[in-house]
Amino acid sequence: MDWGLILFKTLVFPGLTFLLLVIFTTFYLERKLVADMHGRTGPYYVGPYGIFQTVADIFKILQKEVIIHREADKFLFLLVPAVAFLMVALVAAFIPYDENLWIVSTDFDLVISLALLTSLPAIFLFAGWVSRSKYPFIGGIRVINQLISGEIPLWLAGLSVALWYGTFNYVEIVQKFDIIGFFVNLVGFAIFLVAILIVADRPPFDIPEAEQEIVYGFLTEYTGVGYLLLAGAKFLEVFVLAAMTVTLFLGGFKGPFLPGWVWFFIKIFFVYYLAFAIRASTPRIRLDQLIRLTWKILVPLSLLNIAVILILKAI
Amino acid sequence: MYRGAQIITEPVGREGDLMILNWGVQHPASGPMRIKVWLDGETIVKVENDPGYVTRNLEKLLEYRTWENAVVNIERICFIDDLGTLVNWALAVEKLAEVEVPKNVQYFRVILAEVGRIVSHLIGIGSMFGALGVATPMMWVLSLREYYLDFLEHYSGYRISTASIVPGGLKYAPTKEDFELLKKAIEETERRWPEYKELFRDNPTLVERYKGVGVIPKELVYEMGLRGPVARASGVDYDVRKRYPYSSYEDFDFNVVTKEDGDAYSRFLVVLEEVEESVKILKQALEGMPEGDKWKVRMPKKIKAGEVYSAVEWARGAVEYFVVSDGGTGPYRVKISAPSFMNIWVLEKIAPGHKLADLATIFASLYICHGDLDR
Repeated sequence: MDWGLILFKTLVFPGLTFLLLVIFTTFYLERKLVADMHGRTGPYYVGPYGIFQTVADIFKILQKEVIIHREADKFLFLLVPAVAFLMVALVAAFIPYDENLWIVSTDFDLVISLALLTSLPAIFLFAGWVSRSKYPFIGGIRVINQLISGEIPLWLAGLSVALWYGTFNYVEIVQKFDIIGFFVNLVGFAIFLVAILIVADRPPFDIPEAEQEIVYGFLTEYTGVGYLLLAGAKFLEVFVLAAMTVTLFLGGFKGPFLPGWVWFFIKIFFVYYLAFAIRASTPRIRLDQLIRLTWKILVPLSLLNIAVILILKAI
Repeated sequence: MYRGAQIITEPVGREGDLMILNWGVQHPASGPMRIKVWLDGETIVKVENDPGYVTRNLEKLLEYRTWENAVVNIERICFIDDLGTLVNWALAVEKLAEVEVPKNVQYFRVILAEVGRIVSHLIGIGSMFGALGVATPMMWVLSLREYYLDFLEHYSGYRISTASIVPGGLKYAPTKEDFELLKKAIEETERRWPEYKELFRDNPTLVERYKGVGVIPKELVYEMGLRGPVARASGVDYDVRKRYPYSSYEDFDFNVVTKEDGDAYSRFLVVLEEVEESVKILKQALEGMPEGDKWKVRMPKKIKAGEVYSAVEWARGAVEYFVVSDGGTGPYRVKISAPSFMNIWVLEKIAPGHKLADLATIFASLYICHGDLDR
């Protein structure tokens, strides 16, 4: 085993450095595309087309004083953002950008990814809890409420794919992907799309950090590096979930003519664009409405989906 | 009920099993006022308003002004729609001095007042969406609002706080280009409005969030003296423009928009549809603009002692002044009664029982301007 190659993969590409680049790019894209839907220009002055605006903002945030609430648990308060970032970054290790372009590939890729993602609500609850402040606390409780209801459809829809292809390995799933598989999993795809918006707190499901209600949810008390890590973790979570969607339902790196990783990013951009368009057009819903949506529609639908896939598989 | 800008001395934290949340003063959706919320989980148990953070003592300041230069204070009741308040000041002082202004001035005042209403309502629509965390409608209506602000800027030199209506007429004579700019703004509104209306009114998530939330029964409107779109959304057909026409409003053909449900969605619809009515009035005023070059009549420097009451329908409802003169060059005492201050107290009655998330929507649907809340 070539340790140099593994180290390069982990730290540079497609590892840590690349993930930071992903955060920069997605943040810039979000600003620019949403601004376009608003009828605004978006970032403009820093660098060509304003591409360095995000870099400037991140350096500005880094210069901020780290303020810790008097009653907050200092150690946990500083630890939580790092753990959150680490957990999401771990999931990114499983993403196959191309046939041979991944850091880790095991027989249980999907299950491990989902399990790591499930750890996030607990971490975010902690972020709210150790802040010892009211708005973060409400935000943390809302995270738990929302993600318990969002993650069950996510698991069920994700596992239905594994059922159909008979494997948990991402690379194998992509290799087995074909047009029949796409249509069989279309319902699962729809459920998964809604579920990733719920799990990643994307609008219209950005209830745990609803600005007009509870300021910024569990992120309210964070400043400086802590805020950057937490916000980065959330951006990375969106990327990871979008990558999972592409891998499971849209054939990942598969595609004619172009190299695999190009296809992968084209498809990721499609998922992102959808998320941005939904953000720009859909008002936020209420927590009880969300819980009704997930438990009365999404969960039964995803169970039905699994049953249908089992029957189709038997035929 | 109103305790002014009290100093916060009582402990704010927990009260039994309830959490006391200070929703404001530093809060993205509250504006400069505090709303104290008693929460049981996510459910609101009790709400207490605490305005008074932007008090400027306008009523006292007015006592040091002359009749004419009082306009710069009077228009700061609320910056979003300053023109309605200016019209009312001009009406009150003219009534006191027994001066009649020409018809063309009255018509142009109607134009300015309706432009102010449109400008204000557009922001209101945007912020009702803003309370749900989506900024697109706000950006769209702001871009439409620019056309009206261009008109105001060309006419008076200022985009907001124009100080353009003075007792005895108008500060500036409108030019041909002013009317062209206004026509352009109306054209742009009519071009964009069908799309806006469809997208805003029929937005399923907005309907889901606003419908049936924060219902104000008709009796409560009378009991609490609610005004403007808030009252009209509960089925109270009260509009000063129709009931007690001023400044030639009786010449115009327009409807008073009323809804029966009294929920937040009705209030949103009233604001949305009143923009159309205002555009209708603007078009009629432009067409029927009387001939005349005299835009300002002579006003006496000193006005004989006496007192007068005057009210106009402003963007947020009826704004009323009671002006007392002691025969001097300026008002002896002015009492202002503004709609936001009347409307905000209904929040304490309707918010309990709702979820915390609904507080933002109810508050936005009450269409409050913090300027006239505190004065």
